Amino acid sequence: MKLSRQEFLSLSGVDQETLDVWIEEEWLIPGDSSAGVSFSDIDVARARLIRDLKNDLGVNDAGVGVILNLLDQLHGLRRTFKQMRELAGTIPSG
Amino acid sequence: MQHRDPYDILGVAATASAEDIQKAYRKLAKKLHPDLNPGNAEAEEKFKEIASAYGLVGDAEKRKKFDSGEIDAAGAERPPRNYYKDYASTDRDHPYADDSGFADFMSSEDAFSELLRRSARAQANRRGHDLEFSLAIEFVESIAGASKRLTLPDGRTLDVTIPAGVVEGQVLRLRGKGAPGSGKGGFGDALITIDIKLDRSFTRRDDDIYLDLPVTLTEAVLGARIRVPTPTGSVTMAVPKGSNSGTVLRLRGKGAPRHSGGHGDQFVKLKVMLPKEPDAELEAFVSGWANGSSYNPREEVTA
Repeated sequence: MKLSRQEFLSLSGVDQETLDVWIEEEWLIPGDSSAGVSFSDIDVARARLIRDLKNDLGVNDAGVGVILNLLDQLHGLRRTFKQMRELAGTIPSG
Repeated sequence: MQHRDPYDILGVAATASAEDIQKAYRKLAKKLHPDLNPGNAEAEEKFKEIASAYGLVGDAEKRKKFDSGEIDAAGAERPPRNYYKDYASTDRDHPYADDSGFADFMSSEDAFSELLRRSARAQANRRGHDLEFSLAIEFVESIAGASKRLTLPDGRTLDVTIPAGVVEGQVLRLRGKGAPGSGKGGFGDALITIDIKLDRSFTRRDDDIYLDLPVTLTEAVLGARIRVPTPTGSVTMAVPKGSNSGTVLRLRGKGAPRHSGGHGDQFVKLKVMLPKEPDAELEAFVSGWANGSSYNPREEVTA
């Protein structure tokens, strides 16, 4: 599902200016489309996470960048682990 | 459902200051936020509870109402939410995918590294998902075949060739018309379930087609050559002299295509119809018809 900038702002509860900063920081990487930038569900979920980190957990800007980087490495590992388990299921045991 | 006291959940006294409540919430959220615990379902459950509690007593206005008994803990339940982890671990097809956390392992020569490399390759070239649709067609189209155009929810159109003889519930697979994959994975397939609308005249059993066909009294008594509709166009059929209501005639090869080649048959059941309006000439003839009362069509009908 592709979202316009306007739809993204209302779904994520982030304001215009903040969004620009987050894109600048590469915390968010929107896609390109003929109508300008476009967002998807994963961007909305990631924006909510950033908001939780800053507002609810009191993480500062430097901390947010570090956390996102580590989380994405963790998800890369989890994804690959899952894939390995699928492949292992195709290998006959014994 | 019984709701626990929000102060208990956050582990603070009911008299705690707003700062203490926030501090308590932060401490728990740092430990239990679902996105910081992607493999821990229990953390997600607990976090839901503390987020609801904090939503209630972390807000000065709502806290006052809660303390005075105007609202209860049930009012603070949060709608379910999709977290970042729900997207990031399942799909590699997003700009945040990062495999650098194990890149060093992949260069070794042992069996584990080989498995890791194969996993990474499999993910990079994952085939797109199959997409499922249903398509309603006319009975006649199901027998004769047809070309249909399907408009997908995303606005794309799909040209579907309905093969002659499809049956209800049959699934057509259009290769490569599903969702896009990643890397060299290619597209998934579109799976189209056929739904055949009921027809006013024709029914089908196996490869044969059944049709009830009205005929006139004259056609039934004297015999005739009449035009009969079939799903593939009308044909001429001979009604033998002395046909009756319920007489079944067979049109060979006019049924549905068979798997093994050839076609089933169409069976035509005749229904003798008197004229819609009473006809004086017919009445006069039948009253003068001596044999009309000499046969008993109800012989086999028992009370």
